[in-house]
Amino acid sequence: MTGVRDLLETATNGPCGFEAGAGSRYRYGVYGMVISSDTPLDLPSDTHGGLAQVECVSAPAAAFLAATDRGGDDRDTDSWYQYVSLRDGSTYVRWRSIGEFLVATDGRRIMFRRFDNASLESFQVYLLGQALSFALIRQGFEPLHATAVVVDRHAVAFLGSNAFGKSSLAACFLEAGSRLLTDDLLILGESGNRILAYPGPSRLKLFPKIARRFLGQDATSRVHMNPDTDKLILPIEEHRRQGRPVALDAIYALAAPRDACRTPYVRVESLSPREAFLELLKGTFNRRLTNQPRLARQFSFTARLTDLVAVKKLTYPRTIERLPEVREAVRADLARDARPTLNVQPGFLD
Amino acid sequence: MVSFSERLTVAPDVLFRLVGDEGVLLNLNTTLYLGLNPVGTRMWNALTSASSIQAAYDALLGEYEVEPAQLRADLEEFIQRLLGQNLIVAGPAIEASRERA
Repeated sequence: MTGVRDLLETATNGPCGFEAGAGSRYRYGVYGMVISSDTPLDLPSDTHGGLAQVECVSAPAAAFLAATDRGGDDRDTDSWYQYVSLRDGSTYVRWRSIGEFLVATDGRRIMFRRFDNASLESFQVYLLGQALSFALIRQGFEPLHATAVVVDRHAVAFLGSNAFGKSSLAACFLEAGSRLLTDDLLILGESGNRILAYPGPSRLKLFPKIARRFLGQDATSRVHMNPDTDKLILPIEEHRRQGRPVALDAIYALAAPRDACRTPYVRVESLSPREAFLELLKGTFNRRLTNQPRLARQFSFTARLTDLVAVKKLTYPRTIERLPEVREAVRADLARDARPTLNVQPGFLD
Repeated sequence: MVSFSERLTVAPDVLFRLVGDEGVLLNLNTTLYLGLNPVGTRMWNALTSASSIQAAYDALLGEYEVEPAQLRADLEEFIQRLLGQNLIVAGPAIEASRERA
């Protein structure tokens, strides 16, 4: 037998005395999932949604060594990040100075080890982001790389890769009274003919000057996301957090910074369904898992999302001073008809 | 070049979905995504549902105000691109008697 169960048994019987799944006594709710853990996490205990369960189990270094020794067919390693797709279908991921994770084939369990110098806040960002995304996809979900706020009781998502400005724009909305739904990873579920957006951890990852400008938070005592960035992990107070799932009104795909810096204007553009589909595909949180069942499911999910939610392109200059203007442009756009106007030219394949 | 007497079917491991009035395709073997605009989508539907390319051509000729030669050229180019991406497979046409059955 190979895989997580085997590793856990090895660890249980090994000299480290690790007991698999021994007392996952802490239960939390995040992304609509029930997260159980054998060690305390800084997460809300409310469990709205109950879409699925993920058990997080701490493990000693020996358990992970055994996993990586067995090797895998697909791997990617650099000085900061290591990824190995193990032959039994489980996934090993590791971030230098943060921690390492082993995600079970069925996505129901994540074995983890926090490195000595990593803060709990920083570790949780990776556990509840990248590592959890493998588990969620294994369980049939399609996380998007998006930050979402609540505007007029509906969720509005900002879609984009790292450094596209999602969290900064969200902070600007919080300044104006919006609540934070999730930062960086967005889980959606269909309910009737609407899409529900589920709340993530109550924290934002921001650069200090953004935090000071929009949240009035002193950055000096905050925790860095990792040792190589100035980005901070900022807890969001209860009154600024959305704890229950809400219907998703619109998704704004943020223009890449290299495109945004060329424009002096704030621009909201409607996308054709085909363009919207491609933006949503690009906005997946996890591009590592590309097996055929996942791609087929992602294809159907994305098409369905395109049918049900307005997807628009948002381009704006990347300066702090312009963000309130961007916020108002989004608000004005939301106030208009949320559905995009079709804009198609005749022709053949793109 | 494929003959108009042949029939086209969607290749195995190719997915097609309508989003609005446009089509999106995924070839699971190559992980290549493609988009079709409304005209391309109509051509795709006609080609993959007709008993032969000729039958699809006849149907499209009845729908669009287009010169027959132009439609034939456009259709041939479209089919070549689809074949080039392994999105469709050419095979014998469905016989009229079998189609009726």
